[in-house]
Amino acid sequence: MMRKTGVILPSQSEPLMRPMIVIGIPGDKRTSGIQQARSDLGMPPAIILSYAEFLQGRSLGDLMEEQKKQLPHQSSVYNGVDLSAAPPLLRLESPGSSFEVERALIALGAPDSDDMDDSLHPYADRPDPRPLRVKLACQLTEMQGVLHHPSQWFRGYCRMLARLQREAKTACPGSLWLNDPTDIAAMTDKRQTQQILSEAGIPIPRPVGEDQQPTDYASLREMMLSRRMHRVFIKLAFGSAASGVVAYQIHPVTGAEIALTTVGVENYITRPPIYYNSGKLQRYTDTATISGIVNWIYQHGAYAEQWIPKAGLKGKAFDIRQLVVLREACHAVARVSPTPITNLHLRNQRMSLSEAGLSEPVQEQVRNTAVQALAAFPRSGVAGIDVLVSGGSQQCFVADVNPFGDLLYDVKYRGSSTYEWEMKVLSARDYITPPSTPLIKEGLS
Amino acid sequence: MTEVKLSIGYDEFEEGQRIGTEIEKLSSSPESSSLTSLIIGDWGQAYENSSEEVVESLVTHSASFPALRKLFIGEMGYEECEISWITQSDLSPLLPAFPELQSLTIQGGNELSLSELKHDKLEELIIISGGLGKAILEHIAASQLPNLRKLELYLGVDNYGFDGSLADLLPLIEVGKFPKLTYLGLKNSQIQDEIAGALANAPILDQLDTLDLSLGTLSDEGAELLLASDRIKKLKALNLSHHYMSDEMISRWKQSGLPVDVSDKQESDDEEDWRYPSITE
Repeated sequence: MMRKTGVILPSQSEPLMRPMIVIGIPGDKRTSGIQQARSDLGMPPAIILSYAEFLQGRSLGDLMEEQKKQLPHQSSVYNGVDLSAAPPLLRLESPGSSFEVERALIALGAPDSDDMDDSLHPYADRPDPRPLRVKLACQLTEMQGVLHHPSQWFRGYCRMLARLQREAKTACPGSLWLNDPTDIAAMTDKRQTQQILSEAGIPIPRPVGEDQQPTDYASLREMMLSRRMHRVFIKLAFGSAASGVVAYQIHPVTGAEIALTTVGVENYITRPPIYYNSGKLQRYTDTATISGIVNWIYQHGAYAEQWIPKAGLKGKAFDIRQLVVLREACHAVARVSPTPITNLHLRNQRMSLSEAGLSEPVQEQVRNTAVQALAAFPRSGVAGIDVLVSGGSQQCFVADVNPFGDLLYDVKYRGSSTYEWEMKVLSARDYITPPSTPLIKEGLS
Repeated sequence: MTEVKLSIGYDEFEEGQRIGTEIEKLSSSPESSSLTSLIIGDWGQAYENSSEEVVESLVTHSASFPALRKLFIGEMGYEECEISWITQSDLSPLLPAFPELQSLTIQGGNELSLSELKHDKLEELIIISGGLGKAILEHIAASQLPNLRKLELYLGVDNYGFDGSLADLLPLIEVGKFPKLTYLGLKNSQIQDEIAGALANAPILDQLDTLDLSLGTLSDEGAELLLASDRIKKLKALNLSHHYMSDEMISRWKQSGLPVDVSDKQESDDEEDWRYPSITE
């Protein structure tokens, strides 16, 4: 099948404004932030489409028509250009902050779902543990912090991405994805992300078992000891915001173990334990609890990598969230934490890279590494890259690529907030593109 | 003052770098003769390898560091090694090797020994640990450190190696043991209330400027005894930060007009009445 894929090309002369369509959660921090930035810059508002409505079975085309009708007539004309004449730029936002969407995605990932398009799922053949049928998935209730069936959620998420990609071809021909759904699926699965980065020659923390991945607690431990990698991070393959992350270490002499994680456990006699995000770091030293958590993560899909001692400041360690927009590194924050897990919301301190004590050459290396990391996903224009700087050699490693990693407060780049900067760059380099030049690089996939 | 920190990261160690070689390199560099402070960080996977190589190398090259006054063995964060997993060794040979040393800081209590603790000029001894063994307390009690001004011990919890009791601490606070002592820190302890009780009216308070009982499990029980003591009133600083005292007790301290730090109040675990010292990891 031939399909258009592309990257956004540098600006040319004659203006052609593309409207922006955002698929997200209307009114959340992200969609509101985008609209605010556009309004501040005198740009017409983006069209916001709701994940929830899309997941209820409405087609992308229907939702777009409905939204267009609600727009004031004036906003479809900007600088004398009829916006409806240019194919739109499509932007997906994080589906994360809505339980309604989470539940719909788990239902979509069910074994009896109507939509079984797993083409974007990088490990589609691996069965999900204890799958929930659609009916049961729809009955899930929100419980604070509870991680409902993460692997089925991810399957549903990939199905939704595939459907969006399909429908966009007919609903808005010629449209361009800011981040292509294929890339978003790959960035959301840490196993796939690290594989892509590694193949592109980007420095990443060494995976545990490069040829053969561990599959559970016992094989992980065995590999850690035989490979002399006594300290690792175990990550739920598709977790976000530190959910399902464990900093795990084994004492090679005594066999003692310590797991630091935000995963909390509630045990029951008659049914399997419930794992949840506890919001504060837990410290486990007993094998029963640790093996339970690690096995649960591995059942759903896990990635384990070497724990690189991070650069630190006054007894705290940090990593860096570096935003990259269209091949340029822009906003960056050091996330300074008294614990090994830096992306905790709790007790997490933000600093500039200079405040964190990084020299200019190391900062430059962080930026370069992040730009290269995003370049490994050639169909994507924006990502927040998590970069580790090792405490010893000051070398940079990419720990994560976040397709929605641009929700950063209180940090400016050349006087702009993240969303303002993105809108400026996009209008300079994409919106103003003459129709005679190809908007996207043709490619086979 | 010039200060150097030497540290071997995980990868560097795997690639064959060794702390002994780094110390040797430093000893043959021009800056060694003026170095006043040396910090030894991670000597390479310190949860598995002891500090013995550090000690041997420093002793061998001690003549190259004539100006050295401060030594820190094991300055590493949790990113490198848990404090309670740091493997130390017998550090006693360092003392005769550096007769001009004034300050010694040690982090990590596993396999730590200070069997021959004799030094004429040492003014400061600090041992940071998740749990300090009783044997170390005995070494300190048997030590000869006539010039010691500051003694700071992180006692920790039994899970991480603290196997002592109040009885093992009492010889350290006998008047005459350390005649010049002005700073006493018996901190990060799970028996902080007992320690507070024993110190409240101990004669040693008369010679101290600073009493540091921070980072432990101090509650109203120990605080009450301290507050009732006249000897406490002579202190220039009383550090009780990281504690489990009630709001009422905190306000009594504040009203006392004493130079006390009662910051960093801890909440006991909701379900069980567990109180944790600060460094239990």
